[in-house]
Parts: sequence; structure tokens; C-alpha cells
Amino acid sequence: MEGEAGEFNVTLIKKPRYIEEEKCTGCGACVEYCPIKVEDEYNQNLSLNKAIHIYFSQAVPLVTYIDAKKCSFLKNEKCAICEGICKNNAIDLCQKPEKIEVEVGAIVLSPGYEIFDPKLQGNYGYGTMQNVVTSLDFERILCSTGPYEGEIRRPSDRKHPHKIAWIQCVGSRQVIPGGNSYCSAVCCAYTQKQVILTKDHDAQAECTIFHNDVRSFGKDFERFYQRAEKLPGIRFIRSYVSIGKEIPETKNVTIRYSTYEDGVKEEEFDLVVLSVGLNPPDDVKDLAKKFSIDLTPQGFCKTNPINPIETSRRGIFVSGAFQGPIDIPESIVTASGADALCSQLLAYRRGELSTEREYPQERNVSGEKPRVGVFVCHCGANIGRVVNVPSVAEYASGLKNVVYAEEALFACATDTAKKIAETIREKGLNRVVVAACTPRTHEPLFRDTLREGGINPYYFEMANIREHCSWVHAREKEMATRKAKDIVRMAVARATRLEPLKEFQLPVDKRALVVGGGVAGMTSALSLADQGFEVYLVERDSELGGVARKIHFTLEGLDVQEYLNDLVGKVYRHPLLHVITDVTITTVSGYVGNFATTLKAGWMAREIRHGIAIIATGAEEYKPAEYLYGKEDRVLTQVELGERIARGEEGLINSQCLVMIQCVGCRNEERNYCSRVCCGHSVKNALKLKEINPRMDIYILYRDMRTYGLAEDSYREAANRDVKFIRYEPENKPQVEAVEEGGHRILRVTVADPVLGQKLEIDADLLALAAAVVPLATNAEISRFFKVALNPDGFFQEAHVKLRPVDFAAEGVFLCGMAHYPKHLSETISQAYGAAGRAATILSKDSITASGAVCEVKESDCVSCGVCLSVCACGAIEFRDTPQGKKAWVNSVLCEGDGLCTAKCPTGAIQLKHFTDEELVAQIDAAVGET
Amino acid sequence: MDQLYKNLADSIRKSSADSHAGDVMVVGGGVSGVQASLDLAASGFKVYLVDRAPAIGGKMAQLDKTFPTNDCSI
Amino acid sequence: MVRVMCTGRVDPAFILRAFSNGTDGVFIGGCWPGECHYPTEGNLYALSMVLLIRKLLEQIGVNPQRLRLEWVSAAEGIRFAEVMNNVVKKLQELGPIGEGEGIEQNALTFRLKAVENLLPYIKLVERERLIVRFETEEKVIEFFKSDEGDRLFRELIADPLAISQMMLLLREKPLSAGEISERLRLDASEIRRHLHRSVKQGFIKFDEGQKRFALA
Repeated sequence: MEGEAGEFNVTLIKKPRYIEEEKCTGCGACVEYCPIKVEDEYNQNLSLNKAIHIYFSQAVPLVTYIDAKKCSFLKNEKCAICEGICKNNAIDLCQKPEKIEVEVGAIVLSPGYEIFDPKLQGNYGYGTMQNVVTSLDFERILCSTGPYEGEIRRPSDRKHPHKIAWIQCVGSRQVIPGGNSYCSAVCCAYTQKQVILTKDHDAQAECTIFHNDVRSFGKDFERFYQRAEKLPGIRFIRSYVSIGKEIPETKNVTIRYSTYEDGVKEEEFDLVVLSVGLNPPDDVKDLAKKFSIDLTPQGFCKTNPINPIETSRRGIFVSGAFQGPIDIPESIVTASGADALCSQLLAYRRGELSTEREYPQERNVSGEKPRVGVFVCHCGANIGRVVNVPSVAEYASGLKNVVYAEEALFACATDTAKKIAETIREKGLNRVVVAACTPRTHEPLFRDTLREGGINPYYFEMANIREHCSWVHAREKEMATRKAKDIVRMAVARATRLEPLKEFQLPVDKRALVVGGGVAGMTSALSLADQGFEVYLVERDSELGGVARKIHFTLEGLDVQEYLNDLVGKVYRHPLLHVITDVTITTVSGYVGNFATTLKAGWMAREIRHGIAIIATGAEEYKPAEYLYGKEDRVLTQVELGERIARGEEGLINSQCLVMIQCVGCRNEERNYCSRVCCGHSVKNALKLKEINPRMDIYILYRDMRTYGLAEDSYREAANRDVKFIRYEPENKPQVEAVEEGGHRILRVTVADPVLGQKLEIDADLLALAAAVVPLATNAEISRFFKVALNPDGFFQEAHVKLRPVDFAAEGVFLCGMAHYPKHLSETISQAYGAAGRAATILSKDSITASGAVCEVKESDCVSCGVCLSVCACGAIEFRDTPQGKKAWVNSVLCEGDGLCTAKCPTGAIQLKHFTDEELVAQIDAAVGET
Repeated sequence: MDQLYKNLADSIRKSSADSHAGDVMVVGGGVSGVQASLDLAASGFKVYLVDRAPAIGGKMAQLDKTFPTNDCSI
Repeated sequence: MVRVMCTGRVDPAFILRAFSNGTDGVFIGGCWPGECHYPTEGNLYALSMVLLIRKLLEQIGVNPQRLRLEWVSAAEGIRFAEVMNNVVKKLQELGPIGEGEGIEQNALTFRLKAVENLLPYIKLVERERLIVRFETEEKVIEFFKSDEGDRLFRELIADPLAISQMMLLLREKPLSAGEISERLRLDASEIRRHLHRSVKQGFIKFDEGQKRFALA
């Protein structure tokens, strides 16, 4: 790579695949005939595949490739069977590596991670004992596309294991050669998932998890942990372990562990799963050199302390686990954040290189009688081997309204699609049925073909004769052929009733509204403004800054106030950014692309129009009712402690003994979640105090230390600096009383020490409570205004916890910061960029396309009963005055097309387009024969 | 992730392949790289997504289901 | 296999249509409660619709097990196969619709028609009296098992169904109370109660000359 931000030149070497991608349809015939078996890398080498194969069954691109190291033709020019098998001549055994030069303005590095290889340490039996597998191996074992077709079996004898053990922190939290000192942050959660899935497969399975701290710090993770813990036959055992031996006869594996109650024990298991951690990518040094970026000592990408998505080199950004061990939602967030940062850099050239497809003019066929064309696909051998395709095509041609029917080897191949488009024009078809696979993957493609053929794309119907027929009836060929005919007949019946639908374009107001002027709100507002969009940033307080005003430094050593002042300055100076403080929202109307929000400041009200909204309202620290807080002035919260440290208060600095209590106000019945940040905060404050006054005795009373990720190193440092960590059980919480002794008041903290097995009394000068982060009471109001959901804990609920972490289900509204869930400053900044990136995908468009499959009311049939209004949770239906009185009316923009209202309407007045009563009843009738 | 893939396949089909000048290159086609590419393309930039494996998806494609929703990860 | 975007879209009329067509069983597969892809939670509505239609089927002598709703997510291929095999097995045990119950074809068609005729009314009543936005699957099931649920069903739906059937019969020709009770296989005192009510409401009149009831 050469050049600099705005003009990078990258040279790529494209490895030969030995397949012409455009020709390969992914039918898999070549794979079947290939004589060379190889270990399947995708299945962690637990099963075999062929030298030519598709990487995995849902791969994109869904085409084969040849493993050059294994293929006997490529090794010694023998075989080439595949070349003869492929009916599409897609195989090219002479392909050579190709050099490609690409000019780009920015680069995003998302090379991911490598799993820790337990073979390297050699002490877990991995690689020597067959029934010791890694967690990624076990993922494959669980999976229906895995080596044992979704049945849990163990490698040694393919028997179903009954007793399974998981060992946590393999390769993580280890300061020994070959281990990683940091916490990999994802293993606790994925292990719990594997346990739950294992119990789903086999309710009798006995699962044992040997763990250190259980780190369920993510959103909804605490409940998930409880769900796993409550299952019958599950043991969570807090213990370091070692692998004992392999029993020669059974190949079972023993584990040695110890508990406070029972001492050292050795137990036998059928299968042992190593919960391996995350490493930086294998070739990370090479990668860093090629792109001239810096790495951290651990080998992850070195990032800007105030922007975790920026690398040390301008114009090169980083997303995903290359930042450090992070989970899927954070990987998605940083990806969208990288989009925002690229957009900031390249806003001037947005849209210049993208191209629009052009389609022929759409023919109006509404007056014509249905003329249906049916195309029956062989899908290579997938369908053709079971279903008699010629006879299905022949049958179809005899059906009412069908004017044309033919077979296709691969209906989805580019050349076939072209031919279908031609046939539509030549034969004057006005409805098309493709009998092939599933509409879930192929409907968009064929709708496109209809547009190419000059008819409305909704005149298309798919008959699934693969998943619904040939694949499930492989052994009943005749019956399968009969069923295929039934399916085609039903599809034709429906097709003849289909109506053309208009997808409509809605203009987009290119202004943004950001609600909340904390770090999250300011960062996303500034990013959008830097991308060239006008932004309104509204804050109910008189000052920007939010919770961060009370935070003075981070675990990584950032001076928060300096950073904050700089950020506030940038926000106020930006010409596209309008800051409105001391203001509340009173109404919100509209939908994606066109919102109108009314703001009220004192007696003044004003309306703002905007295309998107970002909710960044933050959260606050819980005011404890526990442990004498509010009664004794020497009981503080961690945030208050941080402020006093920053002020350098003498009384604090000269204290002899300070006790911290974790999990105050959360991980309990009332707030069943982990506040995520408190363990880090406590360790941060403890380290700072030790730095100022090394002689101070500091105790941290905790349940699980959740210093996940790279913060683990600080936890270890605190322990090394003699901060004492004492674990307590929730049913045996520490007791605090204020006592007079020797003329001055002290706080006496009593805690049961599980290691010593006795009660410990600590006389403290100060007590700092790690108080929960709690959602704002005003969230409920905001959630109603923007029609977005709150989770049971009162935080905002994103569209999908994993895959859409900053989107709401309501389109055009996004989420970031602590309004989503407690998080550290750097995580908030990442998420703010993420929200800005997602918001920009809408703001950068002039208009957005809405689906045509929405509901519509036939006013003359509407009896104004209102049932549709009452069941529509999208808020899409309202009553409107007409000359015939009040009638239901659908706002197509808000309608999501589920059709509940249609099923509930007593008169059939409201109909979901593309799924009307007429269309569906025709299909139901056709199921029993031709009508 | 199904949806991610489809969207991506769609935008790949739509982008023109003749010139090698783009706006952004994304290195690595795991879930993060795929999401970055989709967002960038949706924001009006031409994207090159490169991966060393024969298919995109990265580690996430190897996971059975994802937690805590137990959605299929493909 | 008929594709809809949400189980909430399944109109009870579709189910009756299929049974009238001679289909032996109807299976509805939907997303798990709490996992509805739409904000409407149509799957819970579908559950309550199915429980209601099953009660109606029972009322007209059709085995309610011919209608089945199961939660199967897109990720549960194996479960789906198991469920479908089980559905088929059950239907094979039950035999063809009507025949399995010992109902003649004409009588079956007649009764299904009576239920179908009642659907608009049921939807309206449901709107007024029955629709409760249940939050969980358990609450839906509990409601349909409760005495309150039973009472509402009897008052709001079972009685009108009997009357609807009576009126369909009388459309053919005037009949005596005894004949109606025999044809509908309903208790004579029940029939008299319905007749009394219908005459009072003016749907039905008593033809003194024929000594038969007829449509008003």
C-alpha cells in the first residue's frame, strides 16, 4: 500500500479459485464427483470435504473453489474429472494469480481475530486427547451443517457425550508464557450459550463449567447467565483446573479441580470443551507493516485514545476485534462507526462513483387476461435427481392461464435470467412463476428479472420445489413429482390474482436531530456535521457534557475534562451544528426521512424538521439506599470518589483505609442487570489512590470482578499493588456500621471471606460504593415520542441486540451511549460514531424506497368498527372523515406489512397487498385440485 | 446475518466492476467488514471488500447460533 | 404450503375454507412468542384465533386436533421436520375429515358453512368482548381454559353458532323443534331455548298452519 489519506494505492494478489465465478451456479455436482477427500477447514477439520468444494453451504459467493494443495490435477496433472462434470464449463484449471491495483480514498481494517491455539501451551491435552475440543470445534459440532449434522457427538467414538465440561479462560487472563494476560471478553457468554444449546439437544446432559469470574457484563447477559445456571444438571464451579489424564479404554478425560468446600477432586468427563480466547490475527505484524500502522504490545491495533476507530495513520480505520477482544455488537458498531469516519474524510466525493441501474419502461398489463409463464428449475441435480422436471413443466403448460412453460438447468444463472426476461417480452407474459428454491434467497433476483422483462416485479411468484420437495422427499421420487405439481398449481393460481404494486419513493429531509448533549450526542452530532449534514443537538440541561462532567480520568489515563472541553468547543464552533439547550421535546410526528419535532424552552415552542433522530439521552448513577449512604458523609459513590480524587482532597488522600463495595443497586431483583462499568471504575480509583498514597489500605469487596477485555491488566496491577480483593456472595452481603472508637468515628465493614472461611472486620475511614448505572425516568416519554421500545430494565431497546445494535425497529431512529446500556467512555464514543454512520446511510440519500406490500382500505366495505386500529402496533391506521363518515385509512409509510389487521377485519375491507384474501384463498383452493 | 449477505450480494451485483478506482477498501470480510462495506455502500461510496478466504463471513459464519437471542448466525 | 409474512395474517376463513375443500388438517407454523418480527406480536393473536377455532370445530363435531399451531423459528429445521412428521402421523390416525368423525359429507359441509357464516360476527364480537391484548403465551392459553373464557365462548359464540345452523336449516324448509334437534344433534331443550330467543328477536316465526318453524 502506498499513498496517503484521500489517495491510497493498494496492490492485491487475487488467489486463483480455478473457477469462473460468473459461470458457477453452486450446484455442487463437481464436488460430488471429486475423488480427493480433504479435511474441512470450515468444520474445524472435524469432517471431510473434497478438494473442490463450496466453502460452506450458505457461502457468499456461493461458488466452488479448488484447494490447490490437495487437487490431484493441480499437483500432478491427473484427474480433471470436475472439468467434465460441470455443465456450465465453469472450471478453469489454468487460472493464475491475478494482480489487481485499486485506488481508494480510505481503508477500513477489519481482519478480525484468531482463536487461541491450546496446542501451543500443550497442557490441556488438545491435539493429544481426542475428546478435548475447543469451543469453536464445539460450535461446529452443535451446528446442523457441522461434522455430525447437528447431533452432539464426540470425536473419539462418535457417541453422544453425557458428561461435558467447559474450562474457561483458556489462553486468557494468564500471565504465563504462551498465554494472554487480557480477558477475551466473549467466552463467558458463548459458553453459556453452548450449555443452553447442549441442553436443547439433550435434556439429560450434565454440563459443568469451571470458571473464574463470570463476566456477564453485556446487555441482557445477566439474565442469560441465570437462564443457563437454572437449567437442571448444570454446575458452575469456581475453580482453577488442570487436565488429569485420558482413560485408555473409554477415552474419557479427567479434570482436577478444587473448591473451598471439598478440597481437591478429580472427575471424569466424556467430553471437555476449552473456552479459548481471542488472539490478534496471525499475520498481524505483516499487516501492520503493509499499512504502516502501530500495534499495541498485545498485537492489537493501536488506536486513538479519544477515537477507538482511528489507527495511528490518517485515513486508515479499524473495526471489529482487531481493536481488542470485543463481541459481535461492538464489531457492528465500530463497522458503522468506520463508515461515519470514512464519510467525514470523503464527504466531498460521496455518490460520484456509485451507479444506478436502468430498467426498461414498465408495461401496463392491467387490462390483459393473465398470461402466466412457468420456469421449472433442475437446480443441477438438486431438484432434477428427485423430481421429474420435464413432467412438471409439461403439467404446468396444461394449467389454466399458463401460456408458456419450460425447464431450466439453473433458473438463477445469469444467462437463464436473461432468457427469462426475453421470453417475457416475446411471449407477452404478464405473470411469472419460477419453480425452484426459496423466495428468501432468490425472490429479489427474479423480481429484478421481471423488471428487465418490462413488467411489474410483483407479478412474480415462486414455487419452492427444492426445500419443500426434492430435499425432503429424496427417496420418494414419484410422490415428490406429484407434490411438485401441486406446488406449481398453487403458485399459478396465486400468480393469476397478483396485482402490480408501486414501491414508493419518499423524499429525505437531510437534517438530523440528536437528543442529548453528552459525549454520545455530541460525538454523533459532530460526526454528522463533519459529513456535511445540518444537525440540531438538543439538551434539556443548560450545559453540554452530561455524565462525563463528573468523570475526571479513565482507566487508560485520559483527562476527561480536557477532552470534554475540546469536544464542546468543536460542537459550538461547527457551522452546521445548532445547539439548543434548556429545552424539552413536547411532540414528535412523521416517519423516516420526514420527522417534525416540537421543542419547548420556557414559554417558547418551535418546530424542527429532520430526516433522522439519534437518541443519546444517557443514564445516571444510582443513589444508594444501602450501606449508610446519605446517612454518613464518608460513604460515597465511585463517581463522587473520583471527583474527590480529582480535587485532591486531603481528608481522602490521608485516609488509612478505604473499602469499596461492588454491585450496589444492580445484579439484584430490582435491577437484574450488571452495570458493566463499575468494576473498571473501582480499579481505576484504587490505582489512582495507590499512586497518590501507596500506604493506603484498599479493599474491594466484589461478586465477580468484571474487568473485561484489556482492563484485566489493570485489575492484575491493582492486585500486585496490594489492593485486596475479597469476594462475597449475594446472600451474604457485607455489613456496614458506624462506630466510635478511640474518639473518632469509623465505618466498620464486616464481610465473610470465603478463602479464610471466616468473618473479616475492616475498620474503614471511607467507603466507596460502586453504585449501579440506572436508566433515566424520562426514557418512557422519549420512547413514546419516537415509537421506540424500552427493555424491561428501562434502557432503550435496539432493533437487534447482536446485529442491529444502534438501530431501532422504528426506521430512521438510532441509539447510542448509556441510553442503550451502561458503557465506558471509549465504548460510548465508538457507538456514537456507529449511530452517525447508520444515520448517514439514510441522510445521504435523496429519497428512500418503501415496499409496496402494505395494507389498503376499501372504504365502501369499512364499517368503522376500529378493530384494525386497535391491533396495529405500527400506528399506521387512523380514522379519516369521508363523505360516508369516518373510515379507516392506512399510512403506507408506517405500515410494516404483517397483515394482522386484514385477518381481524370483519368485512374484508382492509387488505394487505400481495397477500390479499383473494390471492391466498386461490392458493388454498388450488391445493386440492384445479378450479 | 442472512440479510446482511443478501444486501451485500445485491450491492456487489449493482456496482460496476470495470474500473479499479473506489472510495474505500475494507480489509477482512467478517461480520464487521461486511457491515462496514454495507454502510459505506449505502452512504454513497464505492467499496472494495477483500478477504483471503474463498467466502466472506469470517468467524461468525462458523458459529452455530448467536447469543443471547439464539438466532442463526448465518 | 401457503406463505404469509406473519401468523397474524392467517384468517380463520382460510382454515374453514381448507376444511370445506376436504383438506384433512391445517398446520400453522409461526415465530416463537416474544420473537415476532413485527411490533404487532401477531403470533399471540394467531394462538388465540387457533384456540377459538378449535373450540368451534369441537362444537360442530370436527376433531380439533386437525388444526395445529406450532412455534418453529427459521433456525429450527430439525424441529420443523419432527413437528411435520408428527402432524402427518396424527392426521393418519384421525383418518379423512368427516369420515374420521363419522359425519356425512353433506352434514360436514353444512356445519362448516354455518361457522363460516358466523365469522364476521365473531370478529365483531371478538373486537367488543373477547380481544384482550395478552402479553404472553401462557396468558392466552390460561384465558381459553378459564371458566370466564368458557362462559364468554358459550354466550357469545356457541349460541349464535347454533342459531346460525338452525337458520341455515330452515332456509331449506320449515321444520319442527324435534326435527331441528335431530338434524343438528343438539339437545331438544337447547333448541327450544334458541328458538324462543330467535322468535322473540324476529329471525324466525312459528307457522301455525304447518306447525313448523320457518324463517321470518
